[in-house]
Amino acid sequence: MDREEIITASYRSLAHLESIFADESETVIADARYGFIAGLVKDVVKKPPIERLTLSDQIDMLVINRWFGLPLLLAMMYLMFQFVFRLSAPLMSWIDLGFGRLAVVASGIGGWEGSLLAEGVIGGVGSVLMFVPPIFLLFIAISVLEDCGYMARAAFVMDKVMHRVGLHGRSFIPMVLGFGCNVPAVMAARTIENSKDRITTILINPFMSCGARLPIYVLLAGYFFADHAGLVVFSMYAVGAAVAILMAFGLRKTLLRGISSHFVMELPPYRLPTLRGVLTHMWERGRLFLKKAGTFIFGVVVLIWLLNYSGALEPIGKAIAPIFIPCGFGQWQAAVSLLFGFLAKEVVVGTMGTLFAAGEGVLGQAIATQLGWSPLAALAFMVFCVLYVPCVATVATIRSETNSWKWPLFTIFYTTATAWVAATLIFQVGGLFLG
Amino acid sequence: MRDLMPLAMVGPGCTVQIACVRGGMRLQRRLADMGLTPGVVVSVLNSQMPGPVILNLRGSRLALGHGMTMRILVRTV
Amino acid sequence: MVVALAGNPNSGKTTVFNNLTGARQHVGNWPGVTVEKKEGICRWKGRSIRIVDLPGVYSLTAYSPDEVIARNFIVEEKPDAVVDVVDASNLERNLYLVVQLLEMGAPLVVALNMMDEADSRGYRIDVERLSQLIRAPVVPMEANRNRGTQGLLDEIAKVTDKEIRIPELIVNYGREVEEEITKLESRISSAGDLAKRYPPRWLAVKLLEKDQQIVEVLKAVEGG
Repeated sequence: MDREEIITASYRSLAHLESIFADESETVIADARYGFIAGLVKDVVKKPPIERLTLSDQIDMLVINRWFGLPLLLAMMYLMFQFVFRLSAPLMSWIDLGFGRLAVVASGIGGWEGSLLAEGVIGGVGSVLMFVPPIFLLFIAISVLEDCGYMARAAFVMDKVMHRVGLHGRSFIPMVLGFGCNVPAVMAARTIENSKDRITTILINPFMSCGARLPIYVLLAGYFFADHAGLVVFSMYAVGAAVAILMAFGLRKTLLRGISSHFVMELPPYRLPTLRGVLTHMWERGRLFLKKAGTFIFGVVVLIWLLNYSGALEPIGKAIAPIFIPCGFGQWQAAVSLLFGFLAKEVVVGTMGTLFAAGEGVLGQAIATQLGWSPLAALAFMVFCVLYVPCVATVATIRSETNSWKWPLFTIFYTTATAWVAATLIFQVGGLFLG
Repeated sequence: MRDLMPLAMVGPGCTVQIACVRGGMRLQRRLADMGLTPGVVVSVLNSQMPGPVILNLRGSRLALGHGMTMRILVRTV
Repeated sequence: MVVALAGNPNSGKTTVFNNLTGARQHVGNWPGVTVEKKEGICRWKGRSIRIVDLPGVYSLTAYSPDEVIARNFIVEEKPDAVVDVVDASNLERNLYLVVQLLEMGAPLVVALNMMDEADSRGYRIDVERLSQLIRAPVVPMEANRNRGTQGLLDEIAKVTDKEIRIPELIVNYGREVEEEITKLESRISSAGDLAKRYPPRWLAVKLLEKDQQIVEVLKAVEGG
């Protein structure tokens, strides 16, 4: 009762104040605070007579420039990806090779123990570690850009573009992070205050092809498109980003209608990043990936081993495979790989390897001959991988970040449906053109 | 009585005084939290009309999107 | 002993946190890279201090979830000390948070960080006088180079050894507003338990700021 009276009394006070002042009471109060502060600062701080244009401001004249800003941003992104992919490729194959050798040694033990050790344990650990280079390198690059202050400008430059599709300038970072791992990327959306902007950013994040899917493209593009492999891999990322933007646009017009919130951001001065800072940042995000990897991937690899050993994989696959016939890959091996891809994208290639008992070198050939895939089918499969449901860890993260079950469930369905439609279109329409 | 104009139309290098913010309480409060209150003097560092604006506000740099800058009315000083 | 770490984004708060706890943390200067509540332990002079890193906020007016988290922690958990990390080169805006913390009656220590940046801009800050005027300790620091951390810990220890501080009349909001504040304040003081939970003057000002979260808290807490 007391409290009701207090609230009512406050409303009376507010009405009174608003009748006196032209502004809202909040503004009057904020103003008074700032007035006090201004007086305080005058008393306590001596500033030089003329506030020079700082070095940061001068750099910004270029970086945020209307004509120069966006091209510069694209150049930075391009450099970043070059850095990540060029450095990680040799590292990844090196790790893969090492663990491959280890597995051979282990399987020499023989029996199911040897197999479990070789394919299950070593295979599992190996496949987790193999992804550390690209993901961690990407996070290092992003940390450097954040720490030096450039990312704030990037969000600013992107805002105009993002606004047109119903996203926010701050949606930019989560999207770029998604190229590494979707789990920290979805969490990074917390910086977006408007909940509709934020949920949209989260929902489209799975289309940003995470590092775990790269081996799928490398394998298939490498075999089926040899000379144009690089271009095909790049186009997978492009397709993902394009669909993300399209979906953002669609979502904002339907389920998440509303005006995008305004862009206000402080631009901190440019700073030289410290090694400690960059590594700390990288670890913050990288460790989320490792946590998920260490739990899921490892567990899934052992599970697959078990199911394979017991011969249960084939019937499972055969039950699901018919769905993928129009997409061009209606074989049980493909279905099984995709199914496990829901648990962890990292295992798609590994599952294929297990099913064909083939190492990476000959896996492409094994797929082509045993599944009878054409380059078109491989393309459809890759596109399906770009777009379909993200790994369980990401779905779980979506659940905790949106604090609901409806969005993660929606994500599962709408991403898979999009993937199916896209893959089918590519395979069927492509089939018409290729005769 | 000096004329009011939107911040969006202020050219770079100019110094203006914030008159008022046309918008909901949330927006006004958000801006106030960042230091943008009626009466404060700011200088425009960078402006891309139509487009975002960067202000020198109480010693820090604030970037504002176009929608915002149309709603912030200022007067020249 | 629990110490909360508050401050604007980009004020170097996380560097201070790292220096105090030796734990790994973001030194993000992209505004608002919020992560979950970060805690760390600082061992100092035989004591174990629990440091809680609050989300970087510009204000405590409950505009965003970050602000609500920061505010609730200070009001509900009542930490033994609140360190507000202030960017000395951006004093005006950073002081907005300091003032709000003082109004809350928080046991405040101001960590005046980035002194080197302020220096390079030619600012000269009279730290003594600032401390006098706001009636709270002010510790100049350069967290990047881990300078000032010991001094900060000294002041934290002093603040936690004192009794609960009563909020001083920091800001005069003008005659008309002050009149309304006084009216509300006396009503709040008479609602016994409410006055024990929140400083009455602070609550009154929040109500006049139409603080939605406060209104909801008042409505929720039943009984008399």
